[in-house]
Amino acid sequence: MAFLEVSNITRRFGGLVALNAVSFEVEKGEILGIIGPNGAGKTTLFGVISGFIPPSSGNVVYDGESIIGVSPDRLVRRGLMRSFQIVQSFADMTTLDVVTTAALTRRPMREAIDYAAQALLRVGLGGKEHKTPATLSLQDKKLLELAKCIATDPRCILLDEVMAGLTMAETAAPIAIIEELNKQGVTIVMVEHVMPVIMRLAQRMVVINFGEKIAQGTPDEIIKDQRVVDAYFGDHLDA
Amino acid sequence: MREEFYKTLSSPIWWGTLAIAAIMPFVLSSYYVHILTLALVYVALASSWNIVGGMAGQISLAHSLFIGIGSMFSAALLLKLGINMWLGLVISAVISGILGAVIAWIDFRFQLGHLSFVLITLAFAEMGSIVVEGWDFLGGASGLLLPKDTGNFLAFQFGGGHGAFWMMLGLAAICVLVNVAILNSPLGYYLRTIRDNEKAAQAIGVNILRYKITAMVISAMLASVVGTAYVRYLTFADPYLLISPVITIEIVLFATVGGLGRAYGPALGALLLVPLGEILRGKLGSTLPGLHYFIYGIVVISVILVTPRGLLPLFERLWARWRGPAVAGKS
Ligand SMILES: Nc1ncnc2c1ncn2[C@@H]1O[C@H](COP(=O)(O)OP(=O)(O)OP(=O)(O)O)[C@@H](O)[C@H]1O
Ligand SMILES: [Mg+2]
Repeated sequence: MAFLEVSNITRRFGGLVALNAVSFEVEKGEILGIIGPNGAGKTTLFGVISGFIPPSSGNVVYDGESIIGVSPDRLVRRGLMRSFQIVQSFADMTTLDVVTTAALTRRPMREAIDYAAQALLRVGLGGKEHKTPATLSLQDKKLLELAKCIATDPRCILLDEVMAGLTMAETAAPIAIIEELNKQGVTIVMVEHVMPVIMRLAQRMVVINFGEKIAQGTPDEIIKDQRVVDAYFGDHLDA
Repeated sequence: MREEFYKTLSSPIWWGTLAIAAIMPFVLSSYYVHILTLALVYVALASSWNIVGGMAGQISLAHSLFIGIGSMFSAALLLKLGINMWLGLVISAVISGILGAVIAWIDFRFQLGHLSFVLITLAFAEMGSIVVEGWDFLGGASGLLLPKDTGNFLAFQFGGGHGAFWMMLGLAAICVLVNVAILNSPLGYYLRTIRDNEKAAQAIGVNILRYKITAMVISAMLASVVGTAYVRYLTFADPYLLISPVITIEIVLFATVGGLGRAYGPALGALLLVPLGEILRGKLGSTLPGLHYFIYGIVVISVILVTPRGLLPLFERLWARWRGPAVAGKS
């Protein structure tokens, strides 16, 4: 049985079918990339897996148990962590405060503060512990999302476009962090528009278009797949 | 618990301030001791409200209900059923805690927004005052008169004047210390994260319901205990004072002016504004009725306009500037 199994997930918003019977599996320790044009349903899919959005139908099994109806915070304590595409703001807390809260998932107070400081250092935010997230640059905000993930000691993380808006040079840091996490055994599912990045990191890919899975395979198979070229790259070339 | 808390506990400044405060009754006239006692009541109330209103960012207007239970109910238990007021204090605090939990649960269950939370808590407070005014057991509209305070500690008596002042000083210190403790423990981090971004808090593992309830229960129980102590000091349990939403508005005002969500902010607000209000009233109340309200209002509005986050952050900024830029920037 796979570590994370998404089966027949459908989610409707009124008349709109954001996800239509999407199924795929994620093996323990792999990096799975999810791609698809804007509005394809990728963020909604992460919302469903992480417990924020109840699916209209279908099932998600994580580590051998169905997690439908389990609250997001309980999933975090079970090691399933997500980042947000829209970077989350905290008006009155420092980056260290925010990451410390994440670290408290598994650690007592004193350890949590140290661990949070380490996590910030690890993603390259050392020296910015006392800034408020709102004052960080976009790149740093994305790194903060990663630091929050790391601080909870996850077993599986869902990364929603952590590289979007970054220059190629700026993606180097998050790429290194993701590779390192993966080497330590963390399973990673990532949504990314930056193709070179996802082609390099992902071992397997799933393509979603209009809420449906249209292809899956290795990165090499995916770029040769005519349906993907039509749906995804074609879309971009037209625009 | 973070080291800062133990530092506070062993800090000479803390104990020095308390010691100086404790000798005030020997230095000041009884009029000013009364004003200080009143200020301490509000230090305690504003600090207990701060746990929900400041740290968790939930503007609860239900606190007059908890104060009312602590005061009117424990007074009624003593007068009508002969129940010792210490026990009354505990019973009232437990009831307040349960009500607090119910309100927090309703907020979570029905996903109330900020405005609905304010209105629902206000509705609870209004219901409380209607119940008190209509129920003879609680004294109805005419209130309850407690027996004279003869200083019998076992009967929750502190001997009026000086004794009441020290009791309030102790209680206010406890409420402020609870604030320091919470802010330096996981609960403080959870509450601040919930206040700033509920969804993101959940996404980093924070159980919203559990900690909203925890905050509300602690806050409600403290407010109730302060209510019991306050009514003992007043001797007369006046429903129009103790279970009127006006008392909550005052508390919210003091906490906001002092610095919401900060351990010492609400205390600072109460310590400045209560004496200001009382002294203005004492000096001007008879010559030009209403003028003291006017001046008081202008002071409050100016403070909020000049430093929306309260006086404590303003003082900290001034202090940092005075100490030079080397220490500025760290909160
Ligand atoms: N809460 C919601 N209510 C109504 N419609 C929604 C909601 N959330 C998403 N949608 C719709 O569902 C569809 C899928 O949205 P989603 O955000 O999942 O796409 P996405 O693949 O993440 O897109 P992007 O690449 O732009 O991030 C879109 O048409 C979107 O407008
Ligand atoms: Mg998206």
